[in-house]
Amino acid sequence: MSGRSRRDFLKIAVAGAAGTALAPSLGRAADKSVTLLHESSFIKTFDEYMQKTLAPAYEKETGVKVVYELTSVGSLPTRISTITETGSGADVTMIFLLYPFLFADKLMDVSDIAEDIGKKQGGWYDAAKEAGIVNGQWKSIPHSNIGQLMNWRTDWFKEVGVTKFPDTWEELYEVGKKLKAKDHPFGFELGHGFGDNHGWIYPLLWSYGGREVEPDGKTVVIDSDETARAVDFARKFFKDTMLDDVLGWTDVSNNKAWFAEQISCTNNAESILWLAKRDFPDIAKVTDQAMNPQGPKGRFHLLNCIGHSVFNFSPQKQEAHDFLHWVMEEKQLGGWYASADTYYQPFLHAYDNAPMWDVEPRNKPYRDAMGSAHLPGWPAPPTRQLAEVVAKYVTVDMFAKACAGASTKEVIKNAEAQLKEIYRTA
Amino acid sequence: MSIRTEPLIGVTRARPRRRPASLAAWLDREPVFSWLMMTAPILFLAAFVGYPFVYGILLSLQDRPVAHVGTFVGLKNFVRDFNDPIFWRVAVNTFVYTGVATLLKMIGGLALAVAMNQNFRMKNLVRAVLLLPFIVPTVLSTVAWMWMLDPAFSIFNWFLIALGMPKPGPSWLGNPTLAMASIIVINTWRGLPFYGITLLAGLQTVPPELYEAATIDGASGWQRFRYVTLPLLQPIILIVTLFSVIFTFADFQLVYVLTHGGPQNATQLFATYAFDIGMGAGQLGLGASVALTMLPALALLILALTLYMRRQ
Repeated sequence: MSGRSRRDFLKIAVAGAAGTALAPSLGRAADKSVTLLHESSFIKTFDEYMQKTLAPAYEKETGVKVVYELTSVGSLPTRISTITETGSGADVTMIFLLYPFLFADKLMDVSDIAEDIGKKQGGWYDAAKEAGIVNGQWKSIPHSNIGQLMNWRTDWFKEVGVTKFPDTWEELYEVGKKLKAKDHPFGFELGHGFGDNHGWIYPLLWSYGGREVEPDGKTVVIDSDETARAVDFARKFFKDTMLDDVLGWTDVSNNKAWFAEQISCTNNAESILWLAKRDFPDIAKVTDQAMNPQGPKGRFHLLNCIGHSVFNFSPQKQEAHDFLHWVMEEKQLGGWYASADTYYQPFLHAYDNAPMWDVEPRNKPYRDAMGSAHLPGWPAPPTRQLAEVVAKYVTVDMFAKACAGASTKEVIKNAEAQLKEIYRTA
Repeated sequence: MSIRTEPLIGVTRARPRRRPASLAAWLDREPVFSWLMMTAPILFLAAFVGYPFVYGILLSLQDRPVAHVGTFVGLKNFVRDFNDPIFWRVAVNTFVYTGVATLLKMIGGLALAVAMNQNFRMKNLVRAVLLLPFIVPTVLSTVAWMWMLDPAFSIFNWFLIALGMPKPGPSWLGNPTLAMASIIVINTWRGLPFYGITLLAGLQTVPPELYEAATIDGASGWQRFRYVTLPLLQPIILIVTLFSVIFTFADFQLVYVLTHGGPQNATQLFATYAFDIGMGAGQLGLGASVALTMLPALALLILALTLYMRRQ
């Protein structure tokens, strides 16, 4: 009896293992589908438009089922890494910032789509080319920018006599001093967040003429008078206009502070106004948005491009390529953009005056900012070294340490040493 | 005269030895079956513990950008780590975080266990409630702490301001020292029940006769604790400490959610730094080398504790 049960156990175990191993492949063989890995959008209607409108329409038109796989934006790089390392998973992925450059060898050349779409829809912004072209090939099709701009409280600014957002950093500083004195401080992230720190730190550095590395991708030039001036400005800007807590902020912090009516100005995506209109209508009425102030060397913004790439090892890469081409056609793309108002700002000039910009005119600065937007680390080319600089928060911490009390000379020397060590391998 | 070979009545003739007639019979043999039963866990361990460990070592010896083939570079990644000022900051942070949090958990856990070993009403309910910090998912409890440490909403700041501190009160996560203290306190809060409940289980195995004898000999409460309770609990304290050090040393979620290593790397630990380099920067080899530098310290500690326990 016991012998039989043991044999049965083994048989069941072996059969179960075999079944588990075989079942998915049998299932896949019957499907004709393309999987699109995407961030779970802050704007729910954006995801719903893909799930309920675009995916069914594509299946009806071509017979290819579209699986829209959602993940948090924070876990997307890990997911993409896993897919490229294992060679299996989604066929198309949302991709952003420097990742098209890091994963370029595993991404399909989609230049034909970019050229066709660009030709038909008014041409690309230069920022799109900066974000999507790797060694002369489009490795991702830029979808949109999630701009990081100034969010400000019109009622509190008015209390100190300001009705138009200051044009320069120095003017903003003067206003900030007055507002902090009235218990309405500014709040700009200086901690280890995901984007709200880089969103204003890089533009500030650039607007003073500073840069980390030359366009040759090798020569470290952070130790300059321009950088020193930007750091000096940041220190007084922090001390005289902000909450001390910003040094430890992550990306959720300024949103919390905004809705707690704790800060009068910050740097963020459109999400603050969008959420205010939904949940805090009184705050929404006194929230406005503006382009970043300019410094002695101009006005800059952070390029926070999201795009879509096809994995070149995908068994369905041609189907994935065709689906991406179809999605980027005006008939589909216009509706997809409109489903999120202007949270996703198009890189194609055909949408510069699209009706969606009139839904909320306060969002228009996000469109206007794209002409002066650059990737983190610009004008250095996006490389693995640059990705390391960003991941190690070298520049953010250079500014943060100065704001916490370290000398300008010391923080720049430290940052320079780190950059030289990282770029030694270039 | 011939010799009769008739079997004796009541005596079973020994069966002739023969080879197993079938696979089924072979599988029925105890050694074979026990090895078959062991195969699954061994394969499981090899696949999910052994393979990642060996792969991690191989990665750390390669220049291995994500999505690219690696090239062997020997110990170059470790040399780069040792030339990286953040790495040394991370090392100090990790040791401080682990040391202080483990000590606090040990002292607090012992106190908690002694308190829970007393008789009082609703003892079992209180014991169950004490486990909550350990049961609640770390990410969830960390988000709650995030709110409590935000000066605008912090109950701590509310008290301190009520006591006369100027608004907005301390910046718990903006000040490097307070940020480290905050993550240590949260880790202690989360790990205390593990210590408390495990030590409580140990306390309950101490024979009451020993306490009675000590009392008759005139021992005070402290002396009973010092000379009866503590020596008997020592092996359990060592085991719990061993586990706690390993978990704390490799902690990730708490820091990743709360500070992401900020401000200015004041709370960056080995695990979070390795993740940022490996996943954020796509430098899998370099990230693996950072993670692996945890190994010698942990291995030494485990070895020392194991030897100590054997000697005891």
